[in-house]
Formats: sequence, structure tokens, C-alpha cells
Amino acid sequence: MTRDEAQALLPFHANGSLTGAEADAVAQALAEDPGLRQDLAALVALRQAMQDTPVQSPGEFGLARLMRAVEREAPAPRRFSLWQAVAAVAVIVALGQAIYIGSRPNGPAVTLAGDDSGPGLTVAFAPNATMQAISGLLTAQGLQVVDGPSALGLWRVTGDDLPAASVALAASPLVEDVEPGPGDGKD
Amino acid sequence: MLTSDAALIQAIASGDRQALAGLYRSLEKPVYRFILSRLNDPFEAHDILHDVFLEVWRVAGSFEGRSAVKTWVMGIAYRKVIDRLRRAGRMDMPDEMPDSIDDAVDTEACIAASQEAVHLQHCLDQLTGDHRSAVTLVFYEDMGYGEVAAVIGVPEGTVKTRVFHAKKLLLRCLEGRIGWRGART
Repeated sequence: MTRDEAQALLPFHANGSLTGAEADAVAQALAEDPGLRQDLAALVALRQAMQDTPVQSPGEFGLARLMRAVEREAPAPRRFSLWQAVAAVAVIVALGQAIYIGSRPNGPAVTLAGDDSGPGLTVAFAPNATMQAISGLLTAQGLQVVDGPSALGLWRVTGDDLPAASVALAASPLVEDVEPGPGDGKD
Repeated sequence: MLTSDAALIQAIASGDRQALAGLYRSLEKPVYRFILSRLNDPFEAHDILHDVFLEVWRVAGSFEGRSAVKTWVMGIAYRKVIDRLRRAGRMDMPDEMPDSIDDAVDTEACIAASQEAVHLQHCLDQLTGDHRSAVTLVFYEDMGYGEVAAVIGVPEGTVKTRVFHAKKLLLRCLEGRIGWRGART
């Protein structure tokens, strides 16, 4: 095995995925080449650092949404009913109106935050929630819409007292789910 | 109770929702991390993750066992990410690589820098999407080059080349972040 070939296989030696003759050949190359051993040390440290980096995945929140989607598909894939489609469109249109209204001087209801990089909550509203009710709920909790809806109908909101707002939203029949959103700064 | 991913897939194919929940709990984090490594947008990554497992639910019956379940699911994730990037016009040039890279790196500096998460993330962000995908699968998921090739649909030689270049760029970047070039022995 040439040095270049050994170099190309070093990452796979570092992650333990090499087997058989290749593993033996790389081990022999390492035994004979201090430079390769240095490279391997760097790769091992790199792999460890990457694996030690925490990731905040959707977890049970994502699973709950998945199960609801599967429930909607069971027993066989079916289309949205007319009332569901109408309700979804109504909510989106109404939210858009509220954002517009909220941007006017002295306007009521939902306001649109300009920065989506800070702490936030991810919210899924109930399909039958009216805009007036949603607007009232968000305003009462001092929340602003940051982003959304995503392809799944998720919204990101932010506000000054997110823990309290999260509790209030979770208790509301207008809300299907609320979780600390992406970009909430937690690991 | 079903434990292996292969058993879970079989059960999912017969409509077992608890098996889907089991597979989700088993693979959600690595799949999400892989998606996020390419999109760099948690919100978007949430959506793709959802789509991936919904597709697993729909097509579990087509799993033929020619690869590990994790490899198969990662492949679904990769295709969905690429579709999303194409639609958004965010594909980078394949195997984009600077012409000249100094082979020698300061190993100690790289090790020190890699232990600082902020440096590591910065340097990962400098890689092209193809390089980042390969590195993520190799160093986060400990996949062999054959598995990586199956996930991203390229020949094994291409995987080795991508990982080789990505690793070189990553180590060079880490060395630069820590600024210890003078300490090289």
C-alpha cells in the first residue's frame, strides 16, 4: 500500500470501519510512518470532538407530529377533506392579515419580529383555530411571529417571557403543540 | 419487543405504528444531524426529518435488506436534502476544491482547535456541501466508505477522495483558527 492510499484510508481507520486486508495494510503503514501516526492522532481527535458536539433534534415533539401525520394517512393515504383545506387557508390568510394589521401604528394583534436568530418557540395551531382567537392568544402572551408557516404548518414565535408563554400556549385548545424552537440557544 | 432496526422496518411495512416510533427514536438524532449538516437551518431540517420518516412509513415494504436500515434511511434523507437544495438553487459545485493546499498541518494545533466547538463548527461551515456530507457520515456516524457511497449514490473511490480532501481542508482550517503554526515541531 502506498502512502497516499494509506492516507486516503486513515479516516476510515480512525472510525474503526476498515476490516480485513485493508485494516492490516493501514496498520502496517502506521507502524512504519510517524507522519501518518500524527495525522491519525488529529483525525481521532477530530472524530471525538464531532461526536461530543450535542445536537438538539426535534425529539418527542417531532415524533408526535409524525404520528399525527401517519394517523391522517391511515389506513390508506387520503386527501385533505374540504373543510380542512378551507380551515388551513383561512388560518394562513388571517395570520397574514393580522401581521399586516399589527404593523400599523396602534394596530392590534400579531406583530412580526425582525430577527429570527434569538430564542423562540415552535408552535402548531389547531386546524380549526380562528385568527381572532390566535391573535388574542399571542398578544396576551406578548408573543411575536418570527417565521412560518413551514411546510408542516409550524410557526416560530418569540417574546419576553417564553417559559410562561410556553405554558400558556400548551394549555390552550388553540394549540396542538408548542416546543422550544430551533434557535432557542439550548443544546 | 422489537429491537433491531431490520425487525422494526418489517413491522412498519405491516402497518405497525409503534415500530415506526421505535425506529424514529433509534435514528432520529443521526438523521437530523446529517440533514442539518447540509442545510444549516434547524427549522428546515425539522421538516425534512419529518418527510424522511413519513416516507419510511410509506415505503418500508420496499426495503430489501441490501444495506443496513440506517444506510437506507440516510439515503432517503440525502435525496430529500438534495431535492430541497435544487429547488432552492442552493447546490454548490461538485467536489469544489482549491488548487493548492499545503499538505503539512500542525497536528497539535488541529487537535487543540477541534476541541473548541466554535472552531470546529466554523471550519465545518467552510466545507462544500458534498465534503460536509461525507465528513458527517464518516466522523459522526462512523460509516465505512461503502456505506457512505450507498447513502450519497457515488462510487467508493469518489467517497475516499471527498473525505481525503475534506479532512485536509478541515485540519488546515482548524490549524489556522488556533494560530499555532509557530509551535510546529
